Amino acid sequence: MAAAPQRHAGVKPSRLEEARAQFARYKEDVKERGKPFYPYAMFHDTVMSLVVVSVIVGLAAIWKWTSYGPHHDGTHQGLLGPEYTAPADPGTTSFVPRPDWYFYFLFYLLRIFKWPESVFLGTVGVPTICLILLFALPFIDVRRERRLLHRPVAVVAAALTILSMAVLTWKGATAKEALASEVIADVPNWVKAEKLPQNAVPGARLFATAGCTACHTYLGTGSSNLGAPDLTQIGTRNLGIDFQIRHLKCPSCVVPGSPMPKFESLGEERLRQLAIFLEASKGKQ
Amino acid sequence: MEPAGPGQHESPPEPSHDEPHLPAPTLWPLGFAIGIVVVLVGLVVNPEIVSPIGGAIAIVFGFLWARAATAELRGHAVVVEPERRELRETEAGEVGAALGEEAGAPPARGERFPRSRFLEGATLGLGGLIGGIVTLPVAGFAVLPPFLGQRRHEVDLGPISDFPEGSWFIATFLTDPAEGEVSRRTAFVRNNGVFNNQPSFTIISNRCAHLGCPVQANGPTGAILGKKTITEHTKNGVVKLEPVVPAGFGCPCHGGQYDTEGNRTAGPPVRALDRYAFEIRNGRLILLGTYSVSHVDGTGAQARIHKYKLAGPGEHVDGPEQWLYPLNPPHQ
Amino acid sequence: MAYRRPPTKAQLRRQRMEALVNYPLDWLEERSGLVGGVRYFLFRKVPGDVNWMQTLGSAALTAFIVQAVTGVILAMYYKPTPNEAYRSIQNITDHVTLGWLVRGMHRWGASVFIILMFLHMGRVFLFGAYKYPRELNWIVGVLILVLGMMEGFTGYLLPWDQTAYWATVVGINLNGTAPFLGPFIAQFLRAGQEIGADTLTRFYSLHMMLIPGGIIALIGLHLYLVVRLGVTSPPWSKEAAGMALADEEPQPLRPGLTRPVPRGIAAARPEAGGSK
Repeated sequence: MAAAPQRHAGVKPSRLEEARAQFARYKEDVKERGKPFYPYAMFHDTVMSLVVVSVIVGLAAIWKWTSYGPHHDGTHQGLLGPEYTAPADPGTTSFVPRPDWYFYFLFYLLRIFKWPESVFLGTVGVPTICLILLFALPFIDVRRERRLLHRPVAVVAAALTILSMAVLTWKGATAKEALASEVIADVPNWVKAEKLPQNAVPGARLFATAGCTACHTYLGTGSSNLGAPDLTQIGTRNLGIDFQIRHLKCPSCVVPGSPMPKFESLGEERLRQLAIFLEASKGKQ
Repeated sequence: MEPAGPGQHESPPEPSHDEPHLPAPTLWPLGFAIGIVVVLVGLVVNPEIVSPIGGAIAIVFGFLWARAATAELRGHAVVVEPERRELRETEAGEVGAALGEEAGAPPARGERFPRSRFLEGATLGLGGLIGGIVTLPVAGFAVLPPFLGQRRHEVDLGPISDFPEGSWFIATFLTDPAEGEVSRRTAFVRNNGVFNNQPSFTIISNRCAHLGCPVQANGPTGAILGKKTITEHTKNGVVKLEPVVPAGFGCPCHGGQYDTEGNRTAGPPVRALDRYAFEIRNGRLILLGTYSVSHVDGTGAQARIHKYKLAGPGEHVDGPEQWLYPLNPPHQ
Repeated sequence: MAYRRPPTKAQLRRQRMEALVNYPLDWLEERSGLVGGVRYFLFRKVPGDVNWMQTLGSAALTAFIVQAVTGVILAMYYKPTPNEAYRSIQNITDHVTLGWLVRGMHRWGASVFIILMFLHMGRVFLFGAYKYPRELNWIVGVLILVLGMMEGFTGYLLPWDQTAYWATVVGINLNGTAPFLGPFIAQFLRAGQEIGADTLTRFYSLHMMLIPGGIIALIGLHLYLVVRLGVTSPPWSKEAAGMALADEEPQPLRPGLTRPVPRGIAAARPEAGGSK
């Protein structure tokens, strides 16, 4: 056999040399022991493709059959959502925009960065960094090792990525807005659950429509994204109707440093209704 | 390998370049084609005289053509000129065209600029020129129009008598009726009364300053208040004015909150809500266009509005972050 | 040469039949070499231990083909103008024969395509299949993923309903917040300072032609690299092709598997195997 260049004892081959040798070995092994792509591997591919096509057709069928019936058109909410929503209205004041499911993680990321200074981090910063890391992966992880148990950093990073994507997607899918049109439907439930007196009902309606639930929660309704206190049993603190009115007019005058906006513009009469409702809220009865 | 069949010893080892050719081309088909052309021309010019002549020509030449084509089958010997090609003499030290990378002839002694180099440069240059001729107009066509000739339309919201002092309305209108529904916009309008002998209005756009979602009024609207929506027919088509008592404005996408002057009170919006510039013309409220606002001090007619040129949602107009957006495409 | 019995009539007939069948293939092969190429693609060797996870790439390709086919058909009925788009989608969904199926396949095929690309990427990560010499193919794959997401974004506007419109408003403004160039990118995507008819046709053109063209070209490159560089064995496989497990396994399974000294660098096989 021809004498190959002899390696000096103790001198380790460079990483690239090792990788090249391994690839040469790979090619040799495949040539010796591999099997032809067709039909062995291709059979599996074909079965998998059949599954994929069936799933696509199946989803299309479920979409259609659960959202379409004799009395409704494609805007009916089926198992997989409506086939189409109302026509685009750039002037809407009641629509709640949501992206397609695979952008939920980004959607929720935008809600996480809720400080004005950090907006561009959520919109372009984090996604760009993730994309750069993704592109650069082969140049960050240059070791030859492929076995999972020998790549702890990679495995932990992958697990964390999947976990955070899953959490963000889940949070994005379940993120709720507290909009007047939706919250007002809950008012009868509030009256029942908290045994509200009749004179507190106009205040409850006002509470539901005036945007209070954009920051506060009440019996689980509303958005706690901004961290305002829960008002389910605010009445148990017995702050008094006059205090409530003064507080609504100018929160930061009564509680220094309060970030709550002023609700003066609602007028004395409506503020009184709100205050009656708040004082009557003693929690679940 | 098995020895080849007979004839092997006859041919010299150097392959001959004279190979027998197929029958030589004849001119008969050309005559046939001329005949057909004459027929066709005759159909247009003079079907009675010219067409039959063409037909005759076509028939005669067709016959001759068929005769020539079948000559071999009928046993006539066909005389074929063998095609000859001279063997290329290769000089020692010279690289043949088929072998080397330098396909051109070697540069003559004293020649500064070899021909191959010229061809290389010319090919690349001409290719680049073609690319430029095609790409530049196409790229310009795709990129430039969005930045040129952008203008804003005036909107007539109807007589100011529709707006009682101190009341809020959700005004919905078309900015450009010719474009249709796609130009529908919404603004929150309040009449602040007369200030310095000038009518004062607060007109806030409902485009969120975070990412442009449709901001909603936090407060009871027409149906709950028991007030009717006003419908005005103006030159902008139907304008709807829905009464509302807002405690502020809220964004349904990412939770931004604003007060009644459009100042951000919570959430991610980077500045206050945009506002419409307006004018009172013949007692009617005319919207002129939008501008951006960093924040507003005071309220109503006394408000001090910190105005900026219209910026996109999510763009800071003041503070250190404004340097992230030093340039803005032409607006209005 | 040994005496050969003259072929029987049946054999002759069979030969003639074979020649008849092979003739078009031979004709094609002689003029293009395509048959040889396909033959090479089909009968190339892959490691003996490939498993089901390695079908995800071809499954994603299938989903893409479904998208291409259904997309072309939808384009026959869809009208990309703000006044017509919504009605044409209603028409496709509710009235055109099997329109609901084609639109449903396109809509859900998009989700399946994206999921399969992510799963495929996860598999490649798990197998460490992005390592030398397959780095370039990883990059090509990520590019396909990015273009796939762009397809999702541009296609989402086309039904021109409320969800579509507002998702696009936010999507464009997201790009608009990119420092320095953002406002220009947003205005380019929007084809003006407001969303209008030009935005819709622009998205339609990107969705139909530019991005799919890019994806097809990149898939071609991706497949070429797969064929050229081969398929990796699962890293846990006992007989993974090309594995050198010298430090881990004291008892060599066979010399080729466990040699500590790489072949190209060290002495030839038998000598190196003996002297560690």
